[in-house]
Amino acid sequence: MTQIDPAETFRLEAQDVLEQLEQTLLDLGDDLDDMALVDGAFRALHTIKGSGAMFGFTEVADFVHEFETAFDRLRKGDAAPSGELVRVALGAKDHIARLIAEPNAHARAGVPILDRLRAIVGTGIQAEAPPRPVDAATPGNGPAAGDASHGWRIRFRLPEDALSLGASPALLLDELRELGDCTVLASAEDLPSLEKLDPEICHLSWDVTLLSDCSRDAVEDVFLFVEDGMQLDIAPLPAAGPRSDAAAPAGPSDPAAPPAGKTDRAGAPPRENSSLRVAAERLDELLDRVGELVIAQARLSQIAAESSNPSLMTVTEEIERLSAGLRDTTMGIRMVPIGTLFGRFRRLVHDLSAELGKDVDFVTSGEQTELDKTVIESLADPLVHVIRNAIDHGLESPEARAKAGKPRQGSVRLSAAHEGAEVAITVSDDGAGLDTDRIRRKAEASGLIASDATLSDSELHRLIFHPGFSTAQEVSAISGRGVGMDVVSRTMDALRGRIDVDSQRGRGATVTLRLPLTLAIIDGMMVRVGRNRYSIPLSAVEECVELPPDIAEGSRGRNFLRIRDKLVPFLRLRELFGTQEPEDLHQKVVIVSTGEQRVGLVVDQILGNTQTVIKSLSRLHADVETFAGATIMGDGTVALILDVANLVRSGQRFETRLRDEQTKGQAA
Amino acid sequence: MTQHARDIDAVPAGEAMRALTLDVGGEVFAIEATSVREILDMVPVTEVPNAPAFVAGLINVRGRVVPLADLRVKFGMEHRPPDDDTRIVVFEITLEEEPTVVGMLADRVHTVCDIALSTMEPAPKVGMRWRPEFVRGIAKHDGNFIIVPEMNRVFSTEGAGTANSENETRAG
Amino acid sequence: MSKKILTIDDSKSVRQMISMTLGSAGFTVEEACDGAEGYEKAIACGYDAIITDLNMPNMSGLDFIRKFRAHPSSRGVPIIFLSTESDDVSKREAKSAGAIGWIVKPFDQNQLLAAIKKVAGA
Repeated sequence: MTQIDPAETFRLEAQDVLEQLEQTLLDLGDDLDDMALVDGAFRALHTIKGSGAMFGFTEVADFVHEFETAFDRLRKGDAAPSGELVRVALGAKDHIARLIAEPNAHARAGVPILDRLRAIVGTGIQAEAPPRPVDAATPGNGPAAGDASHGWRIRFRLPEDALSLGASPALLLDELRELGDCTVLASAEDLPSLEKLDPEICHLSWDVTLLSDCSRDAVEDVFLFVEDGMQLDIAPLPAAGPRSDAAAPAGPSDPAAPPAGKTDRAGAPPRENSSLRVAAERLDELLDRVGELVIAQARLSQIAAESSNPSLMTVTEEIERLSAGLRDTTMGIRMVPIGTLFGRFRRLVHDLSAELGKDVDFVTSGEQTELDKTVIESLADPLVHVIRNAIDHGLESPEARAKAGKPRQGSVRLSAAHEGAEVAITVSDDGAGLDTDRIRRKAEASGLIASDATLSDSELHRLIFHPGFSTAQEVSAISGRGVGMDVVSRTMDALRGRIDVDSQRGRGATVTLRLPLTLAIIDGMMVRVGRNRYSIPLSAVEECVELPPDIAEGSRGRNFLRIRDKLVPFLRLRELFGTQEPEDLHQKVVIVSTGEQRVGLVVDQILGNTQTVIKSLSRLHADVETFAGATIMGDGTVALILDVANLVRSGQRFETRLRDEQTKGQAA
Repeated sequence: MTQHARDIDAVPAGEAMRALTLDVGGEVFAIEATSVREILDMVPVTEVPNAPAFVAGLINVRGRVVPLADLRVKFGMEHRPPDDDTRIVVFEITLEEEPTVVGMLADRVHTVCDIALSTMEPAPKVGMRWRPEFVRGIAKHDGNFIIVPEMNRVFSTEGAGTANSENETRAG
Repeated sequence: MSKKILTIDDSKSVRQMISMTLGSAGFTVEEACDGAEGYEKAIACGYDAIITDLNMPNMSGLDFIRKFRAHPSSRGVPIIFLSTESDDVSKREAKSAGAIGWIVKPFDQNQLLAAIKKVAGA
C-alpha cells in the first residue's frame, strides 16, 4: 500500500469544503432566509472542526468552534443571518484557509474576527473550551478505582437486544481474559423452554472470577458498549458484595450543550457522488506512463511496418488502437469542469464591488465546460486580472452610468464554451469600452510603438496585455494597473493559448481567452530543417505552400509572401537556427497563426503528422525561447517542439519594423 | 540532499566519498556515486539551436528528455568526436532548488571507488586553468589527481549563458 | 479471514484515517461517503462492524442507523458512531436507534482500534 498522509488529505478536503462554504455564504448573502444554506454552512464548519482536530490542526478547530456554534444557533432560529454575519464569516473562511496553509503563524489574527462575530450574534455564545481529545475507550468518569484489589468478581447479563445490535459475549469474555486469569461460569437458569426460545435474545448470564490487579475502570471498560440496559455487578475479591451502581453512564454529560436538532438536511449540495479523488501527481504520473506507451507504440508501428510480418502488423494495430483508447481515457480523467474555477470569482466580484462602490451583476455560464486540470489551475491568475480590470476600469461608477443612460448596476459576464479543439473563456462587461486613443498615447509614451505606427484597433486593444503597459489615470490600489495584465499574455503563451479583445466605445469590452483542450499530448506536424526534425503544433498550422523560387532566391530583406492578397511575413528557420547543411531545392513554408496574426516558417521538408507527447525542457534551456518543449519520436530520438506564439511575435516585430520603414520611405 | 547526508550514506563517518571516476579531456573527474542514475552508451543527440554550448543537446533517457552537457566547454577543453569508449553519465543535480536529471559526456568511465576526503585539497586560487568555483577540490587516488567538480555550480544557469562567457572561461 | 468493516463519513480524511488504521491492523475496510451509500453497502455485504459519522449530507448517520436496523441483515452487526463530546442528544438518539456505542471526535488511532476490537474482535 502506498503511503498516504491523512493530514494531507485533510488539507485537500478542507480546500474543497472551504470553497463550498464560500459559495454557500455568498448564496446566503443573496438570500438570507434560506435555511438550507445555513445548514450547509454549519455542516461545512462542523466537518472542518472535526477533521481539523483529528489531524492536529488544533488552531483550526479552536477557531472554527465559535463559528460552528453561531451557525448552530442560526439553524435553530436563536439568531438571524445578516449581511454583516456573512461578511465576517467570509473573512473567517479566509482565516481558516491561512491557518491550514501555515499552521502556528496566524492564530492571533483570528481574535478580531471572533470579536466581530460575538458582536453580531450576541451574547449567546460562551467562549466554550473547544473539544479536546478524550480516550473513547476509557472515559474518565467511572467511579474511583479500587486499585488494591487482587481481583474482581464480575456478574453480568446482557440486555435482550444486545445480540442483534452486534454485541458478542464471547468477545467480552475474551477481553476479560486479557486482563488476567478468569474462571467463567455461565448460568442457563433463565433459559426458556425450546418453543419459547428466541435465538436472537441472549438468555445466559455469566459469573466471572478475574484474578488481576487491574482497576475497576479497566473492568468497566470491557462493558463500555453494552452497559446500557445490562446487569453488571463488579465486586472486589474476596468480598462478594453486590453493587448496583456500577454501570455508570458513559460519556460526559454537559447540560449546557445545545441540543442537536435534526441531523438530516435536505437541499444540501451533493458532494461526492460516486467520484473518486486522486492526487494530481498520480494523474501526472499516469499521463507520463501513457505518454511513454504512445511513444513505444509509435516505435513498434515503425518496426512492424518495416518488417512486413502480417501477424506482427495485426498485433501492432491492436496495440495502436488500445493505446489510443487509453490515451483518450487518461486525458478524460484529467478534464475538470471549469465551474470549480468560476466559483472563486464570485468572491472577488463581491469584494471588489464593495470596495469600489460599483454595483455589479456577475453572471457565469458554461460551468460544465471541461478543461485539463493543469490548464484550469493556471487560468486562475489571468482571469482574476481580466475580471478585476473589467470591474475596476471597464465599468463606470453608478453615477456615470446613470448619466450615460445605462442601468446603475454594471454587468460582468464570465462564460466558457468549446469551440472546436479549443475552449473559449470570455469575460465581457457593459462598461465604457477600451479607449484606443489613450492606449495609443500611452503606448507611444512608453515607447511600445512608434508615434507614426499604423495599428488596427484590435492591435491597439491587445497592447493592454503588454508587459508594463498601463492606461491608469489614477492608480487604484485594487487593480495594481498595468501590472498584472501582462500575466495574462504570459500565461496564455505558456498554455499555447491566445487572447482576443473586442471593444466598443461606450458599450463595453469583451476579452476572450482561447486555449487548447489539453496540454499534454497534441497532434504535431513534423518538419525537417537541415538534419534536425521539429514538431509544430498542428492546431496552429493554417496551410503549407511552396516557397516561390523568385522569393527563395530573392533578397533577404523582402521576407514576405503574398497569400490570397495578404502579405504574410516569413522566417527562415535555418537562419534562425544557424543550420549549416545546404538547403533543399524546394523550400516549403508552413503558415502558422495565433488568432489573427500569421507567420510563415520556411523549412526544408514536411515529414507528416504525428502524435506528440509534450515534455518540458529543463531549466538549463529556459532561455531558449523558440521552443515550447520536446517530444520523443517513434525511433526514440528527441525532437523539439516549436513555440508558435513566440515565432509569430518575432515575425510581427519584423513586420512592424518593415512597415515603419516603408511608411518612412513613402513620407520621404 | 546535503553534502553531510551524502557522506554518511557513502562510507563510515564522512571520511570518504564514494565516487564514479571518469575521463574528460585528459583529466580524471569524480562524481558522487549516489547522484549517478545510470551510464549509457552513446545515443543520438538532438541539438538545441541557440542553446548554451555547454548544454547544446538533448537525449532520450527511458522516455525522458534529458539535457546533455559537455564538461569540456566549462573546463575549456578541446572538442572531440565520440568514439567507442564514449559514455553518457546520467545523474541528478539541484538546479534552482529543483532536482534535475542531466546527462554528461565522458570520454571513458572508470570505476566506482572511495576517495578519502583527507586527501582532498581545495582548488588552488591561482595557476589553475579552471574557474575555481567549479572545483570542489582535488583529491588523490592511486597516485592520480582527481578533480571533484562542484556540479551544482557547474550547471547553475547563472553564467551558463552565452558563448562569450564560455570564452571568458577559457581565457581565465 | 479478516474482519470486514464499513466506514461511513463524508470527510475523506476521516475515512482514510479509519481505513489506514484498521487496514494496517488486518481489517478489511470499505468506505461510503454518506448514509445512503452506506445503507446500500451495508445491506448488500455482511460487515463485521460499521462505523458511521452522524452529520452527513444525503442521509444522516442517525437515519442510516434507523433504516439499517429496520433491515433484517442488520442483525448482529455492531454499529459505532462518531460523535462530538458535547452532543448528548445525538448520542441518546443514535443509541436508541440501534448503535452499540460511540467514539468521541477527535480520536486517535489507538482509540479507534480499541473500540473496533471491542465489537468485532481482533
